[in-house]
Amino acid sequence: MRNIAAAQAPRRFPVLELFIALTVLIAVVGIAVVGLSSAVHGFGLPSSLFALAVLCGLGLVSHGLRESNVGQKVGLSFLSIVQLASIPIVGPFGAALVGGLAQALDPRRVAFTRRLFNTAMAVILGWSGGATYLLVGGTLDLQKVGIPGLLLHVAVPLLTADVVQMVVNAAFIAGVLRAERGLPVRVTFLGMVSTSGMSYLGYGAIGFLFAVLWVPAGVGPFSAVLILAPLSVARWVIVQYGDEVRSHESALSALVTAAETKDPHSVGHSARVAMLVEWLVEPMSLSVQEVSALRFAAMLHDVGKVGLPTRLVRRPGEMTREDLLVLAGHSSQGAELLRGVTFLEDSLQGIRHHHERWDGRGYPDGLVGEDIPVISRIIAVADAFDSLTMDRPSRGALDRDTALLQMRSRSSSHFDPAIVEALVRVLERHTWVPGVVEDAGLIGSGYFDHDDPRASDLYARLVADADADADAGANADADADAGAGAGESLRSGP
Amino acid sequence: MTRLRELLRQRLGLIVTGGAGLLGLTCVARTVASTAGWPGGSVSGVRGWNETVVLLVFFVTIAVGELNRITLPGSRESAPMSVAAAYALAMTAQVDSKTVHLDASTTIATTALAMALPTVVTMVAHRPRHYREVATRFLGAATAAVLFRSLPLVDGAPLVEAQTRWESQRWQTAVAMVAVSALALVAESLVSTTVAAVDDHLPWRVAVVDELRQMVGLSTALAASGALIALAETALGVIAVPVFLIPLVLTQFAVRRYAGIRETYTQTIRTLSRLTEIGGYTPVDHPARVAELSIGMGRFLGVPAREVVTLEYAALLHDIGQLALRVPIPGGATMLAAPADQDRIAEDSAQIVRRTGVLDEVADILEVQARPYRHVRELGEKIPLAARIIKVANAYDDLAGDEPTSASRDAAIERIHLGLGYEYDPAVVDALQRVLVLRSGGVATVKDLLRDDPLSTEPVARS
Repeated sequence: MRNIAAAQAPRRFPVLELFIALTVLIAVVGIAVVGLSSAVHGFGLPSSLFALAVLCGLGLVSHGLRESNVGQKVGLSFLSIVQLASIPIVGPFGAALVGGLAQALDPRRVAFTRRLFNTAMAVILGWSGGATYLLVGGTLDLQKVGIPGLLLHVAVPLLTADVVQMVVNAAFIAGVLRAERGLPVRVTFLGMVSTSGMSYLGYGAIGFLFAVLWVPAGVGPFSAVLILAPLSVARWVIVQYGDEVRSHESALSALVTAAETKDPHSVGHSARVAMLVEWLVEPMSLSVQEVSALRFAAMLHDVGKVGLPTRLVRRPGEMTREDLLVLAGHSSQGAELLRGVTFLEDSLQGIRHHHERWDGRGYPDGLVGEDIPVISRIIAVADAFDSLTMDRPSRGALDRDTALLQMRSRSSSHFDPAIVEALVRVLERHTWVPGVVEDAGLIGSGYFDHDDPRASDLYARLVADADADADAGANADADADAGAGAGESLRSGP
Repeated sequence: MTRLRELLRQRLGLIVTGGAGLLGLTCVARTVASTAGWPGGSVSGVRGWNETVVLLVFFVTIAVGELNRITLPGSRESAPMSVAAAYALAMTAQVDSKTVHLDASTTIATTALAMALPTVVTMVAHRPRHYREVATRFLGAATAAVLFRSLPLVDGAPLVEAQTRWESQRWQTAVAMVAVSALALVAESLVSTTVAAVDDHLPWRVAVVDELRQMVGLSTALAASGALIALAETALGVIAVPVFLIPLVLTQFAVRRYAGIRETYTQTIRTLSRLTEIGGYTPVDHPARVAELSIGMGRFLGVPAREVVTLEYAALLHDIGQLALRVPIPGGATMLAAPADQDRIAEDSAQIVRRTGVLDEVADILEVQARPYRHVRELGEKIPLAARIIKVANAYDDLAGDEPTSASRDAAIERIHLGLGYEYDPAVVDALQRVLVLRSGGVATVKDLLRDDPLSTEPVARS
């Protein structure tokens, strides 16, 4: 995570440059203080130049071989391990050198400011970790301390140094992101501590093993092979994992697109809804799992339409009450189809209820207000907005503002008002590119779009209210007749 | 001679498991005898406090490791923590700078007991048992112990003595330990692949290549970890045993996640394959049945494990192109559609799958799944084995239906036989018959059918 840094874009006020300068200053002053006090006290400087050289080399190699992007934030930083192990083996000064050199001589192309910041960061991590280690009673003479000494004067101080490094790292990254992109410091800091905290503890433990094997067990530089071999395997598996996750997602979305081919008007619809849903939840601080459940639910929300008779999906013309009932089955059918796919369990409710209405007149279960899962309420808004901004037989595509006006007029009756407001705000930040109906003949021949908000009204009038009236003992036929007028306005064509 | 070989083939798994058990029992008996001071024990037995503690710690670690098994996708089960600890025990020479006196028999006996205990527990708990995997793991550890403690490899002395002379050059000991672990792992792999090859009717070469591809990563981690623990004990004492397993635990954690996403991937493809069936294009469960049949046939025909996944996905998605049809084919049976239509559906399927951008291998198979076999013979066209398998499996399922009776099964086979060599690859049809025989436990009618088949001279039914 320590590599996130530095923007290239010039700013009116050079906050970022100032912050980087400050970081470099802290690095230099810190290393000078630690170096001087070590020189004065005559201890803390690297005792073996050979060990220092080997560790620097290791740092360089392991940093050069790192994976740039393994996705899902589960990378393994070998440099962190090597730098932690360097603390007991070559002291704070040596640890700073190992990290600083690796970053400064990074063989990849890195912008200068970024390289500078990363190097300064590594130096700070080295001396702050090293100083902590010595202050908490860590020893640099591992050879003769015995087993209790190794635990008390190496393991415990090293883990403390590890925690300090994690906090320092998170603080500086949060600082630079604040300077560069204006992200709030507290959120970034806490986010980093919670995502990288566990792996940092692991680095501490492994750094300890490394040091023990190197000095007291007498294996020397060959320890690197023994320690890093299992870790390389772990990293290889993590990379495979990342590949597989990405591959899975693209396979899923492409196959869903395939299912859409049956219904030419909805090509690209799922992908656009998924994008809009992602925009909508950006400001909420949702967990990674919640976001992915949402994205999948959005992508698959209409998958049940595959099960509808083709005549219904493609047929122009009037929808009868029976047709509407069959069509309304798609949301529960979609959820049914996906039951048994473990990772989609959280999305199922979202899919099932994405045609519920805030006023309780939707389908399949007629849930009201807050009873509707929040995922479904978000998808419902995105779904309808996408439909409004496209050409339909009964009307041309609405522009963004007209569509938003329509959405607003339905807030509290059809949609959750809070989410409609969120949509308005989101579209100020992002540019909405509406879908285009490629098959022009489709418009001419008439077509029933179930996502059009008026389809929901039609359903509500024709089915939900009729059922409610039937329950109340009223005459359902009268209502069905009243609904025919609404059907007229939706359907069109020759 | 032939009968003996046949017996060996059929009972190889049992022989390996029994052999491992016998070795374990012998070592336990020898260790107990010499510990109790009975005559006839040239072995060390368990003497001294230090040795007892070391053995106990390893016993617990190995036993716990046995309960934490993992399975890499498409490969055999393994228990990394148990194996690493067992190898470390085999190579433990110094603990807390003091030499521990253990011989091969004692370490092997401890390993045997530690591996047997969880196996007995799972047996009592009626959970699936894995005797054979445990037996091969044990044999690997025993090999390491013998290599390190008994064989005079360095100037007429075993490594365990030679390494005391390398005090100032400990890296030599480290290299020797890694080499011993590596050899033991190779031995373990060979045993397990041989058994697997015989069991799954795989050509031995395919099984070995499979094994090497899958296990090389994990084995590297294991070889390093075993040596790591054995070396660290000098400095840290027995605490080193659990503590130095941390890197391996990380690896194991990563493997679990990887296996998880692979499982998810398969689940997703399986679910999406049902899109055609809820759309009314194909009979219920048709893709799943074709996939199952294809995998079985693929194993018979020596499809390597890493390609089985591709075969499975292709079989599951072979009809996905039907989604593009406006009106479903009657009964969804592509086998009964006109050849041109079959080809078009195949092409649609391939096109849809190719759009994923990540399943190109699957798309390549789907593209040619409807091609008749004579294209290979007459035109020299290269049709991948997987495509030929899916063609036969699909035809069989279309003909036999969702709940085949023995009559419909035979009728289906007969119909397929009519297209043998022209429409269908004879070797693949043979594999289909073998799978059906295995599945039905050797139903007489199918056997009769096989009798006239020149391709089925080898014994097919083992049970």
